[in-house]
Amino acid sequence: MPNRKHEKADVLQGTLDLMVLQTVATLGPLHGYAIAARLEQVSAGALRLNMGTLYPGLMRLEQRGLVRAKWGVTDNNRKARFYAITAAGRRELATEKAEWDRTASIIHALLREQQ
Amino acid sequence: MAALREWTRRFWGTLRRHRADRDLEEELRLHLELAAEDARRRGESPERAARAARLHAGGVSQAMEALRDQRGLPWLDDLARDLAYGCRMLARNPGFTIVAVLSLAIGIGANTAVFSFADGLLLRPLTVPRPGEVLTVGSLSANSIRGLLLSSYRDYVDIKDRSKSFEGLVAFAESVVGFTAHPETLPRLTIGMLVTSNFFPVMGVEPALGRAFRLDEDQVPGRDAVVMLGYRFWEREFGGDRSIVGRTIRLNGIEFTVVGVAPAQFTGLDQYVRYDFYTPLMMWSRLGEDLDVRPFDARDFRRLNIRGRLKPGVTMTQAQTELSVLARDLERAYPDTNRNQNIVVRTELQARIAATPIVPPLLWMLTTLAGAVLFVACANVAGLLASRAPVRAREIAMRLAIGAGRTRVIRQLIAESLLIAVAGGVLGLGVGYAGVMLFRQIQIPTDLPIVASFELDRRALLVSLVVALVSAVLFGLAPAIRSTRTDLTAVMKATHAAGFGRRRRWGRAVLVGGQVAISVVLLVVATFVYRGFQQRLGSGPGHRTDHLLTMAFTPSPARYREAEAQQFFERLVERAREVPGVKSAALASFIPMDGLPRPVTIVPESFQFPPGTESAKLLTSMVDEHYFDTMGLSILEGRAFRATDSADAPRVAVVNEQFAMHYWPNQDVVGKRFRVNGRGGPWVEIVGLAKTSKYSFLLEPPTDFVYLPYKQRPQPTMILLAESWGDPASLVTPLREVVRGLDSSQPIHHIRTMEELYRMRVVSVLNVIVGSVAAMGMMGLGLSIVGLYGLVAYAASRRTREIAIRMAIGAGRFDVLRMVLRQGLGLAVAGLVVGLLASVGADRALTTVFSGGAGGDGRIDVTAFLLVASVVLAVTLLAAYLPARRASRVNPTEALRYE
Repeated sequence: MPNRKHEKADVLQGTLDLMVLQTVATLGPLHGYAIAARLEQVSAGALRLNMGTLYPGLMRLEQRGLVRAKWGVTDNNRKARFYAITAAGRRELATEKAEWDRTASIIHALLREQQ
Repeated sequence: MAALREWTRRFWGTLRRHRADRDLEEELRLHLELAAEDARRRGESPERAARAARLHAGGVSQAMEALRDQRGLPWLDDLARDLAYGCRMLARNPGFTIVAVLSLAIGIGANTAVFSFADGLLLRPLTVPRPGEVLTVGSLSANSIRGLLLSSYRDYVDIKDRSKSFEGLVAFAESVVGFTAHPETLPRLTIGMLVTSNFFPVMGVEPALGRAFRLDEDQVPGRDAVVMLGYRFWEREFGGDRSIVGRTIRLNGIEFTVVGVAPAQFTGLDQYVRYDFYTPLMMWSRLGEDLDVRPFDARDFRRLNIRGRLKPGVTMTQAQTELSVLARDLERAYPDTNRNQNIVVRTELQARIAATPIVPPLLWMLTTLAGAVLFVACANVAGLLASRAPVRAREIAMRLAIGAGRTRVIRQLIAESLLIAVAGGVLGLGVGYAGVMLFRQIQIPTDLPIVASFELDRRALLVSLVVALVSAVLFGLAPAIRSTRTDLTAVMKATHAAGFGRRRRWGRAVLVGGQVAISVVLLVVATFVYRGFQQRLGSGPGHRTDHLLTMAFTPSPARYREAEAQQFFERLVERAREVPGVKSAALASFIPMDGLPRPVTIVPESFQFPPGTESAKLLTSMVDEHYFDTMGLSILEGRAFRATDSADAPRVAVVNEQFAMHYWPNQDVVGKRFRVNGRGGPWVEIVGLAKTSKYSFLLEPPTDFVYLPYKQRPQPTMILLAESWGDPASLVTPLREVVRGLDSSQPIHHIRTMEELYRMRVVSVLNVIVGSVAAMGMMGLGLSIVGLYGLVAYAASRRTREIAIRMAIGAGRFDVLRMVLRQGLGLAVAGLVVGLLASVGADRALTTVFSGGAGGDGRIDVTAFLLVASVVLAVTLLAAYLPARRASRVNPTEALRYE
């Protein structure tokens, strides 16, 4: 169903930064594929990140100084670009998290009340 | 904060590729490989795994596109690409580029030059921080000379104490004095400002050296002889010696202690004068020019300038309301001196316009003409773009067809226009500089640091950039939008000769016709101005300008009392008359065309003033008995002054015809009387009637003027006028000897021949105006010739096929020539007629600029019309003939085969 897919992408747009920051904050420096795999695993396959969404997003975070990227070597000796969260990234994550919690609780309360 | 960082990184990402494409691709490839590995681990075959990975993660090229957009600023990237592409397009069509850029260079340069002129004469801001806030305050009554806002010291104190609108109000007067660094050297003339102690703090000017004035130095008249030097004066006279503070200099023979030096960028509160020194206003009583008035007591001694800055949040209207109330209070309290005196606040620009009423209309005229030239230039470029449109239409249709967005194509076309405009603007600086050099011929003849400076400075550069951008929009935007609105298939299918441009060609015809019309107006105006000025120069100022030498003397009040100064002047003129080569010699307090004469307040006997006025302020000169002969001014009735019109004789005056016509129309004016110095002043009897001449400028309207005997109204400065038998300059040395014989330490200033003075004040100014107007007329004509030529050539080239067929079936060369020519000439004649009609209106407008009509008496100058019409007709005929002749030489066989 193309319609459903579309909705999913929209949700993604707003929260991608938050999800990526949270992932690299908890798991340490990761390369792009690892981040995508992790998000897919956590969401039990519901979140499939396209490269065209993931990498521009990472680049934006890097340009904003929220993550720092460095070429490194993976466990099985492949050259990969690793993304690590910066101090500014942690601060941003904290505020975004709080904001998200607040929004979620409002929406939650609203939806329950209307039922 | 983070967003700002993102944008700066993206900006740099555009300029230098921060991460190369290869780097990005490598990262994406790794992603795909890892995804495929995962799939294989789940048991897929290698091929299926790779496909699953691509399906899962998306294509590399789409991701790359998204990454490139994120890496830099896409629009900046596009702009760079558009500009590079535009450069290639322009280089490929050098003919088009050269004509377009040169046209714009002329149009933009004319505007830049006119701006520099306007800036030098009127617009340049004061040299203080936040100059736009500085306002002028002062008394205004119905008979204020030239609408200048001047106040008395007593009024200033009241305004300052009672007004609540201003953050600070300062007052100043200016004074011309003799300066010496050492007591034994000859004094030299300098000009300075006498300022209140709050002047420098309120204006926000910090001394470069030493200190500004203290409050206690501005409280007792004539006590505190302290001085601040102007920066340039300090550098010139003292070589920038920093130990100057604490030393003494002499001004009018009085010792002043130097307390500081003003900063380099501050030159005083006048657009022309660069003041040499500043002293406390309280020194006015010792440095002032008027020997008989006490400047701090007389409420009607209005010579003081007031400036102020408003408090935050107060508007000018509020300030004006408050000042009007204050003025009425003062009127009630001091009816003798303050009746009908309003207090007015003006911005600096308003004040300057009021002080020099001739300048704004002149600038308006030049700005309008320059705008017309720019319009003609833009029409040229628009026409050129239109002739390229059919060729470009295919290219654009192609781009649109393969998926370029309309805005994207428009942006690209605008980038090309911008390139042309900026190139034109840069070249236009050359044209502007030529204009500035022309305007620099205007010099103010004076020994004092008074200059009108015309510069191609940062402000002028900014203006030419703005004009370039405006012109890019004028000529580029409409064609750009229109050319993307084409029917793709029609254009793609059409051959070059397809006639899909009927409306477009109409538009171009109107443009070219308009160009011709505008250049006709420009030329008619130029001819009017030229002929009008020639006529004025021919009829002259009404007095002699040849065989005259002038020398000015200001005997220092420190060494001469008033009576002694009078004696000095008398002996000077007597001795001068005995010098061989001197035909006659005279004394005057003012020479025509040299600055502003002294005003005098008079009340003519039994004259009914309009309500609200009780006296008239008019221009006056104090002269001796030989003045009228020496200046060649004829006395029409009665007599000139005599040696017997001395201080104790009955007071007499000579008035000019204009004055007589004004106050006693159709009556014999000799024997009439008026009071001088206001309603309580003494009676003066008119003994003679002089011809009206020109007093301030050659183009001024006839002005009331009064001559008074200098012995009955002594002046601190008098000018010796010597009429020579031969070259007046040869009198300089013998007359210097005469002065040395009388007083060896007496400085002489303003040594000039009347011819030189007249040339600098009048002839060169008029020549510069005529030159600039004529130059713009020629530019307009030149540009419209190019436009007309371009249109006819273009139309002919589009009709090559038609012409060839006509010729193949028997049309002769002459028929073709006539056919092509007819179109061009039709346009030229239509433009000419419209232009001539518009010129009649332009003549009216000119009459308001130069009172009395530049074309002479406001009559319509038929010769000018005929002259311009024939020139324009001849030139446009040639412009249309050349392409028509080429069209008529078409070889039908070749032309048709080519198709």
